[in-house]
Order: sequence, then C-alpha cells, then structure tokens
Amino acid sequence: SKIGFLAFIAMAINCTAGIEVLVAAPERYLGVKSPSSSNKFNSANMTDDFQLHLDSSDDDAPEEVTFEESKASALRSMKNALETSKREKDLLKEKRRKRQELFQEQKKRRLLPAHILEEIDTDPSKNGPLMTHASCFSLKGNYSVMRVADQSSSNSQQQTAMDFIQARLYGPGSQRTTNNELLSLQNKRGPNKSAAMQFVNKKWAKAEKLKKQWIQKQKVPSS
Amino acid sequence: MGEFKVHRVRFFDYMPTAIRAMAFNAHTERLALARMDGSVEIFNFTDHYFQEKVIPGKDSRSIESLCWVGGRLFSAGLNGEIAEYDLENLRPKYSLEAYGGPIWTIISNTQGTQLAIGCEDGTVKLFEVLEEHIQFERNLDRQKGRIISLSWHPSGTHIAAGMMDMIRVFDVPTGHAVQRLLVDRGFGGSKSRETVVWSVAFLSDHTVVSGDSAGKVQVWDGHTGTLVKTHLVTKWDVLALSVSKDESSVVAGTSEGTVIQFQFIAPTLHQQQDKEWVRTRTFKNHTHDVRALAEIETAIVSGGMDTHLVVRPLLEKFDEKSHASGLRKIHFPHVIANNINLSCAKKAGLLLFQFPGQLELWRLGDSDEHGKPGDRLPLKRKPEKLLLLKRKGEDHICCSALSSCGGWLAYSTVSSVRIYRLQTDNNNISITKVSKLPKALHSAHQLCFSSDSSKMFAASSQSSVLVIALTQSECKYVHTLKPKSGSRQPIHLMTTSGDGKWLAAANSDCEIHVYNLQKLKLHCIVPVYGSCPSAMGIHPTTNNMTVVHADQQLFEYSIVEKQYTDWSRKLQKQGLHNVWLDRDTPVTHVTFNSKNPNQVVLHDMHMFCIIDQMFIHPCPCHNGLIGFSGLFYNQMTLRSLSEQERPSHLHAFKICKTFQVSLLFLASLLDDQSLVVVERPLLAITSQLPAPVRQKKFAT
Repeated sequence: SKIGFLAFIAMAINCTAGIEVLVAAPERYLGVKSPSSSNKFNSANMTDDFQLHLDSSDDDAPEEVTFEESKASALRSMKNALETSKREKDLLKEKRRKRQELFQEQKKRRLLPAHILEEIDTDPSKNGPLMTHASCFSLKGNYSVMRVADQSSSNSQQQTAMDFIQARLYGPGSQRTTNNELLSLQNKRGPNKSAAMQFVNKKWAKAEKLKKQWIQKQKVPSS
Repeated sequence: MGEFKVHRVRFFDYMPTAIRAMAFNAHTERLALARMDGSVEIFNFTDHYFQEKVIPGKDSRSIESLCWVGGRLFSAGLNGEIAEYDLENLRPKYSLEAYGGPIWTIISNTQGTQLAIGCEDGTVKLFEVLEEHIQFERNLDRQKGRIISLSWHPSGTHIAAGMMDMIRVFDVPTGHAVQRLLVDRGFGGSKSRETVVWSVAFLSDHTVVSGDSAGKVQVWDGHTGTLVKTHLVTKWDVLALSVSKDESSVVAGTSEGTVIQFQFIAPTLHQQQDKEWVRTRTFKNHTHDVRALAEIETAIVSGGMDTHLVVRPLLEKFDEKSHASGLRKIHFPHVIANNINLSCAKKAGLLLFQFPGQLELWRLGDSDEHGKPGDRLPLKRKPEKLLLLKRKGEDHICCSALSSCGGWLAYSTVSSVRIYRLQTDNNNISITKVSKLPKALHSAHQLCFSSDSSKMFAASSQSSVLVIALTQSECKYVHTLKPKSGSRQPIHLMTTSGDGKWLAAANSDCEIHVYNLQKLKLHCIVPVYGSCPSAMGIHPTTNNMTVVHADQQLFEYSIVEKQYTDWSRKLQKQGLHNVWLDRDTPVTHVTFNSKNPNQVVLHDMHMFCIIDQMFIHPCPCHNGLIGFSGLFYNQMTLRSLSEQERPSHLHAFKICKTFQVSLLFLASLLDDQSLVVVERPLLAITSQLPAPVRQKKFAT
C-alpha cells in the first residue's frame, strides 16, 4: 500500500494538469475549458469532455484553480484510495478468519470427545507401557490400527526399499515356484526316481490338499 | 555296548536365516557373513572353516553389505546406518546415520583409508576411516536413481556405481560422473521393467564387469564407456559378482542357484591371440538364489537364500586330491558350544530351545513299555510345551542355559541378562524373574549352571568368567575369574565338572583355562593346540576333560594331574581314522554315561558316536598304526559276525548314522539312562524357505 501511495503521488505530481482537468470537470458545465491539458489525457472520457468543451464558448479564460485547492483534492483522492485498499484488506482478513474457524470446527468434530482425551492425559503411567508395546493390532473386520508417530520418514523409506527388493525378486514377472515343486523335481530326476512330494510324503499331501481347498474357496465368490 | 531308550525329539522348529552378504579378509583369513536377521558370523578359514564368532542380530538392524578395513568390520543396511563391530565383545561398537536414506552397499578402497556407500537417494557418500571411528567426508555428484552397487578401482581414483538401467563411473577427487554406461533391458516381458545392475566390479585395467537383473554379465571398457562383451547366463537375475585377487577370474551368482566363472584367457590355442573374458565353469551348489559370493585364493565361497554356506575348492589350485580339495558344504549355523541353541536338564527331563526371539521349555514324553532295538514305543505321556518366554527389547537372544535340576533358567542378549526361577509341581509351572542382578552382569557370551545349581557362570569380556551364587530366589556376585594370558577374545565354550570343583573355559584364541572353583583361582592352562576346540566335557567321576577340536582331533586331559591321560596319548600315537578326520561338521557336544564310566558320547550335526575307552588297543594286523580294523562303520557287519569273530573287529568308536537327512542338535544321556536325540529333518527346513525360481525340466 505504501508503494501504491507513492505511485499515486508520483502520478499526481506528473499529471497536475490532468488533475486540473478532473477538478475542472464539474465546472465544465459552467463553460470552462483547458485545451492545453487535453493533449496529455487521451481517454474516451476526456474526448467526450473535450467535445463538450468545444461546444461551450472558446473565448473564456481558463478557470483559476488555486494550488491549495488542487493539493486538497489530490490528498482527498489519495485518502480515498488508501481507505479502499484498507477496506479490501479487512474484508480479506475477515474471510480468512472465517475459513480458519470453519476448519477448527471440522477438526473438533473429528477428534474424540473432550472427556476421553482428559482421561488419557491424566493417566500417563497406565497408558505408557501400553503405548510403547501396542503399536499394531487388528480390529474386527479388515482394519488395522497403527500409530502415526511410529511411521517416521526413515521407516517408510526403509519399507519402500524393502518393497522394491521384494517386488524385483519375488514380485510379478519373477517366475517363481514353490518348494514343493523344487523337491518334486529332485525326486523325479534323482538317481532313485520317485513321484512328486505330495504323493511321497504325507505332510506334503496334507499341505497340497489344504492349498487346493483354499484356492477353491477363493474362486467360489467370483464364479 | 548297551541298549538305550531313545527320545527322538522332532518338535524343535529350528529355522536358519538366509545369507545376505559376505566379505573375506585375506590378511586374517576370516570370512564375515551377514544374515537376513541382522546377525553376523565369522568363520576361520585357516581352521577348517570353524564358525568362530556369532554377533546376534537386532530387530531394527538390516544388513545389505559388509566390508573389512584392515581388521575392522563395517556393515550398512536399509535402516540408513553404518555400523562398526567389536569383534572382541561380539556386539556393534557404534552405528552412524548416513542421512542418505536406505544404504544398499558399502565398499572400501584398497589403501584402507576411505569407505564409500551407495544410497537410495542417489548419492555416493565418502567417509574417512579414522582410528576409533569414521567421519563423513563428502558426497559425489548426486544421481537421479538409487545406487545399488559400487566398486572401487584398485588405484582409488575411480568408483563404478551400478544403478537402474545404467552404470556410472565417478572420478573420486572431483566427485564428477565421468562415464555413463547404458545397460540394455531384457527382452520380452521384462522390457517394461528397469534393469537393476545388482553388482559391479572395477578391474585395474579399467574394465568394468557388471551383473544385472536381466541375467547378463557384461564387460565394459571403463575408459571409453563402450560395451566389450555380453554374456547372457540366466533367465533370472545375476545377483552377485566377485573378482579373484589376481583379476584373472570373475564369478557370478544367479537366482537359479548357479555360480558361473569367467576367466581372462585366450579363447583358442592359437598364438598371439588376445585374451578376453570367457565363460568357463558353472557350479550348481544351491537350490535358491545366490546372494553373496567371494572368490578367495583356492576356492569359491557362496551363500544365499537356501541358508547354506558352500565352499567350493578350485581343483586346479591343488596339486593332489586331498580332503582340502573336496567340496565343503557348511549347512547351517552349527552349534558351537555345549548349549547354544539347546539345553537339556538331565535330571528333570526338560529341554530348552533357544530362538532369536524367544525361549521354549518342553518336558519330554514318557513311555513305560520295552522293546527290541528299532522298535517304536507307544507314549504314555506326550511331550508338552511348558513355557514360551519372549525376549524383551530389540536385541536377539545370544545365549541361554537351563540348570540340570530344571529350577533355573537364564538368557542373555548383548544388552542384558535375565535369570528366572522355575517351580514345577506336577502339571503346573511357575516362573519368577530374579529382579536384582549384580551390576557386573550386563551381558554374557556363554551361560552355564553348576551341576548342583548353586552357581551360575557367565562368560564376560576379555575371556573372564563371572561367578554368581544362586540362593532360593536371588543372585549374588561372588568373583571374576580372569585368565593369565590377558587374551581379549571372547569365550565360546564353558563346562563344569559334576562335583562342582572345576570350570573349564575355551576362547577363540584356542586357549582352554581350567579354574578351581573352591579356591576361585586359575588351576591350569591346557597346552594350546593349533585348532580351536569345538566341544568339551568333564567326566563326572574321573574329572578327565575330553576336548574335540575343529580339525576333529580328540584329546583327554586329566585336570587333577595337569597332563594328558594315557588313553589320550595312546590314541594320538595310533592316530584317528581317516573317516573320522574327514567328517564335515565339527563335534558340538560331549557328554558321559553315568552307568558306564568308560563311555563318552559325542555328536556332530549328522551323527552321534559312543567311544568306549576299553577298546583302544593296538591291533597287530595293522602295523600298530591304527587301533581300528579296516572298516570304520561296521555296526552292521559286527552283528552279522559270530561271537568268536567279533573281538578282532571291535574298535572304540561306535557311530550311529541315521541322521544323514536331518540335523542333529543334541544327543545326550539323561540321568534315567535314556538317550535324548533332538533332530530337525532337512526337508522340514527346505519346505519353509522362500520361493525358488521356476525351472521347466523336460519330462516332468
């Protein structure tokens, strides 16, 4: 706003002639003209005024406007401008304050009710060990709860790195198989050839059966 | 020989962890191995690949890479930290946050003055190696992708970095990237995936060898940045590379479990032919991915997701076929002390299983029936799990002990020791923690209870042993037993005598100290033998100590007389049988039969053996050199011989080899004369390993 004020003053000093025109404008109806200044301003409004000026008598002497008057009017306009900018700023501040309040309100709605928070606050000893041990436990259904504080940025970076290696070696496109198949191949190609593991070993047979049952279960909802 | 009722225990769910990284120190001839659970193992390659030291893991620690600088060991992992290890106290000395995100690799220059790490955020960070710590020096120019692998040129002036889809060569003094080598993507479906350069090797002539996820081993000219040769070796990833010291051979490890060797030779026999990198041999010693590889002078050492450590000697380096040139497969972290993974309370019939995260206490089952050898007896009472004790904190359990009466239980991590009092009344078991422990007892490498459960012994720093007295429910510090030699190495074996008078402790310097517990001072030092002791036991009545070493030599030392026994001298004179000496795994446990004082029961990971000291005598038909008849394992033939023929074929070592397809963790005699055998079928372990690659074989 300071800059704006200075620019306004600069404009005012440079264009005193223009201001004279402005100041003089209401008096044009009284027939005042100032042809020299009309060259400095070429706005549409000025041409209109100029026309009116031409309509009025050309022979009168220009109106004498004192320095004090023009100074006063310049100051007045500056004050007006300052006031408008202040008003705008106040409006903006008001808007921001209202928005902040709205957010606070929304946040309050999301938090637990105050009495529960108080309870937790006043009993640090009871919840201390609980907080340090319980960092991950599952609720009913498919949800799990984790503390946000534990997921520091380094932890998440480490997790990303581990996921990267897991995906490259064991993820899609890695062409992996089961240990069952590995051992079955060894059985089939070894010096004493025998059948696949699930037919040779009872424990493997059970594991294979359970696996097949599980796959069936997965397929049923989709079919 | 005797018949025993055998408790065959197969409910020990031991599961080894995969090998992630390894580094060989050519000066000290030690191999450092890092596993996926953050533990580090040191193997002594001059002493029959004996597993000397184990530094337990930690939940938050992840290790992606290991590096030796002189005698110091450094590791870096996905938690963004560089750690230096204290190999005398078996714990990390310190760990330093590198602030580059997860670290993928750590290397050192040949001069041993700098360390470089490759980070997730695309920076290669240089650290200065100082006397007691390391200090950040500067970053090289930051790149847009993650740095997966690094290799330093032997002169120290350039570093090659393997990234995604490319390799960058940096000029170390200025830090700028001077070359960019673009790596092709695979063809077919994998064209859409970026190629990860898992490993690079920078040779003295500025050749860069790279192994990537498209299954290629490529040879580049580091000066011009051009590709010299591509070898497509596998459909899956090439995960590891290692260069021999003389740079004539490079080995590559793949996801298939194969190790492929390339040698710098002239491809044909014509004269004047230029040498080039030619694929020579393929070794298939693993079933799952090979993630760690080291080519040492005479062998290729590989390890990976199937948890085996395989040492494959290169036959051209050996002049004649000997035991040293045979393939050595070191299956799993073997039990190096009397009770590192497993303790047995002989009087109470209880077993304590130690896992990194918990302890399990089991009571053995019982059967009233009798039968012939080989019969399976029906159980009157099933074995039951009495207790599951989870550790507190992030550090993994490094050792545990159970007193023979079953009343005391103790375990230690690198940061704490916990002692518990157990009370069993028929079916109920109650456990109470001993709250006030002596201040001196903050961590132990080995724990051991005296046979009358009145004292506990904790192996502490600099080969010293803390003696703690146990009363009804509390512990009091009594004394610290210190060795005279001033050795700083940790103790890895401890055993006490049945009468409570003697304590023997063995450390990694191959020293065995015997302490007098009544006077609480050093009694004698057993003459140092070149190989590290792998198992020790003190006879309950004669107080003769039987020691078995990593090279399978066996000695018997009389503690009272402070010298080797006559039996031992006779045995040494005649020499042990070659079949005994050629065994792969060291003996891990020595115990005795209270009913028959002549018998010594010992076992390694695949067999258990009862030595009957009555039978050692020179046999005239064998030049008096070997005390045994020609066939070593002749139990079956003995049975088929008539009564008169047997004596000439008898010898002292009776071996039971039914455990070829399992790991034998314990074979011990309980007080009630039954034998406890804890085994883990290899099949059960294999079934729980991660997924192997799918290989299509014809006609299957």
